[in-house]
Amino acid sequence: MKTKYIFFILTGILWITGVSSCKKAELTTFAKVKIPTSSPIAAGNISGFVKGTLLTGQTYTVTADITVKKGDTLSAQPGAIVVVKNNAQFNIQGVLNLLGSQDSPVFFNSDANTPGTWGGFQADSAEAIIIKWTHVDNTGGPDASGSARRTLVVNKVGVPVDIEDSWFTNGQDDLMGLFGAKVTILRNTISSSGSTDGEGINLKSGATGVVAYNVIFSQAGSGVKLETSTTVPFPQTEVDVYNNTIVSVGWRRGSAEPGRGTSVGVNAIGHIYNNIYVNCYHGIELFNDADNVHTTHGNNLFYASVDNFTDLRDPTIQINLRNNFYPAGASGTPQPTDLISTKVGNLDPLFVKFDGTVAAPNGYPNTNDFHLQSGSPAFGAGNPGFDSKHPEYGNQDMGAYTTDGKGNKH
Amino acid sequence: MIRKFYLIVIFTLSVSFAFAQDAILKGKVTDGGSQEPLPGAYVHFDGSNKGVATDAFGNFELSKLSPGEYKIKIKYVGFEEFEKEISVIAGQVLVLNLELSERRQNLKNVNVYGKLNESNESSSRQSEKNANNITNILSARAMERSPDLNAATAITRVSAVTLQRNSGSDEAYAIIRGLEPRYNNTLINGVKVTSPDPVSRFVSLNIVPSDLLDRIEVSKTLTPEMEGDAIGGTVNLVFKDAPDHEYLKADASLGYSAIFFNRKYDNFNQGAVQRQSPIDRFGPGYSAPAGYFSRSNLDFTKKNAPPTVLASFTYGRRFLNNKLGFIISDSYQNQYYGTNSQFNVAIPNTQPGGNFKPVLSDIANRTYSTQQLNNGLSAHLDYKFDDKNKISLDNIFLYTYIAQARLSIDTSIIGGNGGRVGAGTGTVYNDNRSYIQNQYVENLKLSGKHVIAGHFQFDWAGIYSDATANSPDRADLTLNHLINPDLTSTPNYFDAISRIWSRNGNKDLSATGSLSYTTSLGGNSSLQLKGGGLYRHSTRFNAQNQYSLKPAPEANGVKSSFTDIYSADWIVYNVTGSLQSDASNYTAYEDISAGYGEFKLTLNKLDVIGGVRVEGTKQGYNTNPVVLTITSNAQKTYTDVLPSLQLKYRLTDLSNLRASYFKSIARPALFELVPTPTYGEATDVTGNPYVKHSEADNYDLRYELFPKNEEQFFIGGFYKTIKNPIEFALISTLNGQLETTPQNFGTAKVGGAEIVYSRYFGNIGFSGNYTYTYSNINSPKVVPEAGAVNGKPVIKNQSRPMQGQTGNVANLSLLYKNDAHKVFVQLAYTYTSKTLSLVYNDYGYDYYTQPQSFLSFSAEKQISRHFTVTAKVNNILNTPTIVKINNLVQSKDIYNVSFNLGLRYSL
Repeated sequence: MKTKYIFFILTGILWITGVSSCKKAELTTFAKVKIPTSSPIAAGNISGFVKGTLLTGQTYTVTADITVKKGDTLSAQPGAIVVVKNNAQFNIQGVLNLLGSQDSPVFFNSDANTPGTWGGFQADSAEAIIIKWTHVDNTGGPDASGSARRTLVVNKVGVPVDIEDSWFTNGQDDLMGLFGAKVTILRNTISSSGSTDGEGINLKSGATGVVAYNVIFSQAGSGVKLETSTTVPFPQTEVDVYNNTIVSVGWRRGSAEPGRGTSVGVNAIGHIYNNIYVNCYHGIELFNDADNVHTTHGNNLFYASVDNFTDLRDPTIQINLRNNFYPAGASGTPQPTDLISTKVGNLDPLFVKFDGTVAAPNGYPNTNDFHLQSGSPAFGAGNPGFDSKHPEYGNQDMGAYTTDGKGNKH
Repeated sequence: MIRKFYLIVIFTLSVSFAFAQDAILKGKVTDGGSQEPLPGAYVHFDGSNKGVATDAFGNFELSKLSPGEYKIKIKYVGFEEFEKEISVIAGQVLVLNLELSERRQNLKNVNVYGKLNESNESSSRQSEKNANNITNILSARAMERSPDLNAATAITRVSAVTLQRNSGSDEAYAIIRGLEPRYNNTLINGVKVTSPDPVSRFVSLNIVPSDLLDRIEVSKTLTPEMEGDAIGGTVNLVFKDAPDHEYLKADASLGYSAIFFNRKYDNFNQGAVQRQSPIDRFGPGYSAPAGYFSRSNLDFTKKNAPPTVLASFTYGRRFLNNKLGFIISDSYQNQYYGTNSQFNVAIPNTQPGGNFKPVLSDIANRTYSTQQLNNGLSAHLDYKFDDKNKISLDNIFLYTYIAQARLSIDTSIIGGNGGRVGAGTGTVYNDNRSYIQNQYVENLKLSGKHVIAGHFQFDWAGIYSDATANSPDRADLTLNHLINPDLTSTPNYFDAISRIWSRNGNKDLSATGSLSYTTSLGGNSSLQLKGGGLYRHSTRFNAQNQYSLKPAPEANGVKSSFTDIYSADWIVYNVTGSLQSDASNYTAYEDISAGYGEFKLTLNKLDVIGGVRVEGTKQGYNTNPVVLTITSNAQKTYTDVLPSLQLKYRLTDLSNLRASYFKSIARPALFELVPTPTYGEATDVTGNPYVKHSEADNYDLRYELFPKNEEQFFIGGFYKTIKNPIEFALISTLNGQLETTPQNFGTAKVGGAEIVYSRYFGNIGFSGNYTYTYSNINSPKVVPEAGAVNGKPVIKNQSRPMQGQTGNVANLSLLYKNDAHKVFVQLAYTYTSKTLSLVYNDYGYDYYTQPQSFLSFSAEKQISRHFTVTAKVNNILNTPTIVKINNLVQSKDIYNVSFNLGLRYSL
């Protein structure tokens, strides 16, 4: 049945390719006018109050905290390289606009190039955040009071946050803590972040928007977490979480506080479809205090490449992975449209390359390729028009890499 | 008019013969009116140093008298001086029963200054009667006979005064007329004292031992000469003055808290607490290794609580022909007490059908074990040049050492990472904290009084006050484990350790001066004009240095499980500490300059006291946050013009009618302006630079009747409007702590009535007071069940009482004394009705401290001429402190009964 469907699609693609190659597109050519960059920032050491544009191909060294004031914008052109020293951070009160490209991404890393060695983007009162095709590595060093910092934090209702096609690795706490923001988080890869705590994408306090086509690998806490504020019940957090591939998350926090592939709690609303969860401590957990009347989910694939996880120090602690796809005591229950593995080998999503990681240290190298091999049960099992306020959301396939090309481009 | 007074002397002579050649004089001194014995009256011979004070039952004995002629003199506050010539013969035992007559001197104020009016010349009741304003006074005598260890418990027996206590500690601040401490002033010997507390302006009353106190004066209305920042009133703790005769008193007692009958005392190695942080010792930039941090102060062991030891002595006398006098007093208290506390965090219920009513998100059981050592040393020196010139030097040094273990077990019910799914399940957080603190309060005052040319009096004072609190290495260990839905449990995981070195201090320099002119207007009329000023410069700082120790993960990155502190493996996450840019660090200052003009006109039976005070305030702070914002540094200036008018009409010699109006203010405490968090035991406060100072108009009416000595009846009413009262409201409930911020919610109206009565019937004395207070303020609240309109919550104004205001306050005490058996017994009862303690976010709900009844008992029996056995039992009803939101119990603290047994020696 499935192979027939794939065959049908392949035929279609071949036909379209054939037809379009016969046709000659209309071509418009401009004279080579070079438009100068506004407020270019000279390469070299930067610190203090900064605005303007980080230029293509230039390398910048951040020597101390940088603040982008309200009304100011810090932009980056494709290929800009930023090296952060002295555990410094970016304080964004204005606009952050990092525009890399597929061929020429923007790079942010510390000079030490080890996990937790710079402060990330502290953007509590930012006006807007746009991050595209950017590498952000090794964030999360201790803040003034000695706590790990989130890689990107926004704390203001309604602020637009648009993060697409970017890579984030080796953070120490929450990778994204977006409270109240209006989020568009598409096609990113988040790897090996959170030391012994921290969520991948933590959306609270009235956050709204979409989280789709992301890969989250080996996060300390949960992959995607949705909550409303505990003291201010409105506005509610309501997010569409679909077509993400979430692998090996939730282990580093210890079994007293298991991490989840996706969790919904404290009066939040989630619409959770078409995601693939592999080797997560807990799969989908809808806490009893979530707005479970309005929360919907289905068409998710759950798989474990081993039966049990055994604690290193205390081998009597055995965690059965398949028992926790929908953990006991919570409100989430298996849906008829879900694909739920019953044993190793059953409903394997068939990643192109997967090392079988369960628990791994912070900063663990992600050498996996979560594209799906042909014959994956995820193909065609997705919900192309799930219960969302945006009818265009959804996909016929599950996971971040879909056959229609809308998915993750990494 | 100077009223003739009568000196009634009735003495019986009974003569017997002893074998010794020396004579003995003994007897009893009583109040000629009430026949009450007078304790502490000084019986001495004119022209010699020989003398003795009467004991608690008015008895005295002078032995080893050579035969001859003597002139007996007796001095006693509030009574006329007594003189009598006697002669004794060898071997005689002379028994004299002497009656003193009360001094009727309510016209003292009419006199032009001839000589200085000594502050101790009249008794409490006389002071109340003659005071220019509405005052209640608790005398040393009343305190000595009551079960009060410190000023905090003593003060609750003053009309309309109650105490605010904090969970888990013995700290206590005065609430006057149901108005919380911020609206009141606490003075020592008439001057403001700096506070070692990071979150208040006041010195906690429990660190002032009641033995040092001569009296406590509570003024409920202000005259222009008094500082204007008191809306409820002013508490003045007046320390003992140099006595006319040699004075020595010493006592010691042992006590125990009944809470340790049921559980052990949690102990930790106080010696392992490192006084210096890594950068204090090795300089800035030093990278602290994991091994720097000690372990045994996080190893909590159970032991039997040691007994509480209390001891004090007071000694004083005068030299140089009575010109130079001193009194020195030391009070030592080493107390062990505990609190069993339940502290629950409430949030709106977002579960289906919950309708956003408050519901508990976490339940925490906390046990506190506290050792508190107080040492209060007070010294007073005065020199009287002559009848017209006197200077005094007062020094008060208070030292407090606190060592506290707090063991907390916290279960998430809802929220966080899921909460629990049934009773006995969920993630359980253990939070164990050890904490020591050294507090030093130093207060030095040099003052003088000079009568110039008969009509003028010049008073001046210079005050240096310095308070610091030093809390080294506050260590906090958090662990967690999960109890699964099937009730199996995971092992304990090592979550984090924080180590905080913090210090804060407050320093004041003040100078005051006043000049008054008094003249007789003929007959019973007089006029006094007075002008003066004050300047005070205050500074405060807070410095915090925090190190975070993170558990070293296992090889697979997983958080490691915890067996004991000695095998815990950690890494220092911020190796250089947080001092450089800790959000809690600030410096702040406050400059106050004030001037006033006051008149007092006495026209026959009417006294009119009025005038204006002007106070200028400059407050500001400076912080060094990581991200500079416009609120990093601020200054506020404001000037208040504070008129005051007090009328006193003497209906009869024994009764007064008073009416008054005054305007007063309450300033925000310095930390309340600083927009950084100050961490507390269960509640953190983040300051608000936009909060405004409170301004109040106060109206009072009181009728006073003084039928006879120690008997009184007051009835009065008051009304206040308070613009911009400062109230605390919740901003968050993260981490099991309440996070609050000070705010202004508009104008409050406060009205009330009070009644005071005390009387002695033979052996039984009764004193009681009752205050009713009503207050009202409207403040905006969120209505969550109405949902969101345009993405914003629906807001509705709620009418409620003002924060910290108590509706009904009653104090009753019963005293029994038996002269024959030399026994005193007292039973004291205090009632407070429910009090709004914190403003809740949502419409229809607030945090209320529940009504409380306290009962205490004290008894003493004199066993020999110099020794008395004492017994005190406090909190007999084991009254819990409960805070509720409607019917939901948010916190409950249990302190249990405490017992105390001791011995007193007096010369």
